[in-house]
Amino acid sequence: MIIQRISRYISNFENLMPLFAAACAVLAAIAILSLPFVYAENQLYPKHIERESPLDPYDRGGPPFTQADIKVQYPENSPTAGYVTAYLTPFSWALANTTLHTGTTIVGHPGGILDEILYNTRGLDTVVETTILFIAFAIASYIFRKGSP
Amino acid sequence: MIGAGGSPFMYLEFGDIVIYFSPYTLSLFLLALVFTVLVIASRPERQLDIAFGADAYTTKEISLPEMRFRRFMAIACGLASMGAMVTGDVFDFCLFTSLVGICNVGIVAAVRSRHVQNAAYQYGLVALAGTVPLFGGAAIVAATTGTLSLIELSKTVLPAAPAVAKGFLVLGVMGEGMAPFYAAKAEMFRAPGAPYVIMCSLSSLLIFLRVIEVVLQM
Repeated sequence: MIIQRISRYISNFENLMPLFAAACAVLAAIAILSLPFVYAENQLYPKHIERESPLDPYDRGGPPFTQADIKVQYPENSPTAGYVTAYLTPFSWALANTTLHTGTTIVGHPGGILDEILYNTRGLDTVVETTILFIAFAIASYIFRKGSP
Repeated sequence: MIGAGGSPFMYLEFGDIVIYFSPYTLSLFLLALVFTVLVIASRPERQLDIAFGADAYTTKEISLPEMRFRRFMAIACGLASMGAMVTGDVFDFCLFTSLVGICNVGIVAAVRSRHVQNAAYQYGLVALAGTVPLFGGAAIVAATTGTLSLIELSKTVLPAAPAVAKGFLVLGVMGEGMAPFYAAKAEMFRAPGAPYVIMCSLSSLLIFLRVIEVVLQM
């Protein structure tokens, strides 16, 4: 009987979102109860936040075209890691010299900061991320144009 | 490395993301590959509505652009599931999984049926919300173990990641693939176009099988 009622509730797809939200809430409550997590001391991609640097969240250190010290998981797979740190276009160079907010405008103009780890050692991630965006654009444009001939 | 799915016999390096083929991942990969080839090669079905008690039936007309778009989405979904099957990185797996979720929405979003679209909308909402536990789980794994590579994780003393992180990952995959929530999928399966709609089901089955292996070796 109870299974019948549960399956009747689930069979209405309007109830899916509340059901999933409830599952998320329960798991989040369990997560909060099981705090604190013991964090690993030896992080794979350590980050030093320097508020004074204009390239703030993306500053991996080192001048351009000399190898910076970048910690990666498999150094033998990325022999050029550390060489493309902070390549800036003239526009972003001017921006970095005048304001402290170049790091926040990475998506606002082309040729911003190349994040060393993102583009050099985790290249497949960036490919998949942009693929997700393109697929989403394709769906949105198809739905938008569906009515028109 | 001997993971949950047997010891890998081939590695493909993409920087820090190392793709590995173990007996388990390779068989799942081949399954996704074969079905993608079938989707490319097969001709879509034409749905018939038969009225019982009377000698009447109607054929549903589906336009060519709609079929073309859905085939494109099904192929993209197949490629995304192939990637999710073999990747050896937790964050990369999450990305491929969310790509599968978006492609599943896209396959049914092209259908011109109000009922199917309502179900697809609800499913899209769940897929959207599912990214939060999915990537949250990956973030907790990175913070508590210090690495994202499954190969490195399986070398450490298991379990390396807290159980809650694994729960988040599984819940996120459930949201993306709608594994237990087949209610919306049953509505979506009313959409005509057989091989493309089955891709939703197959891809969610595959990512669910794969997340078991991912969770077991960390």
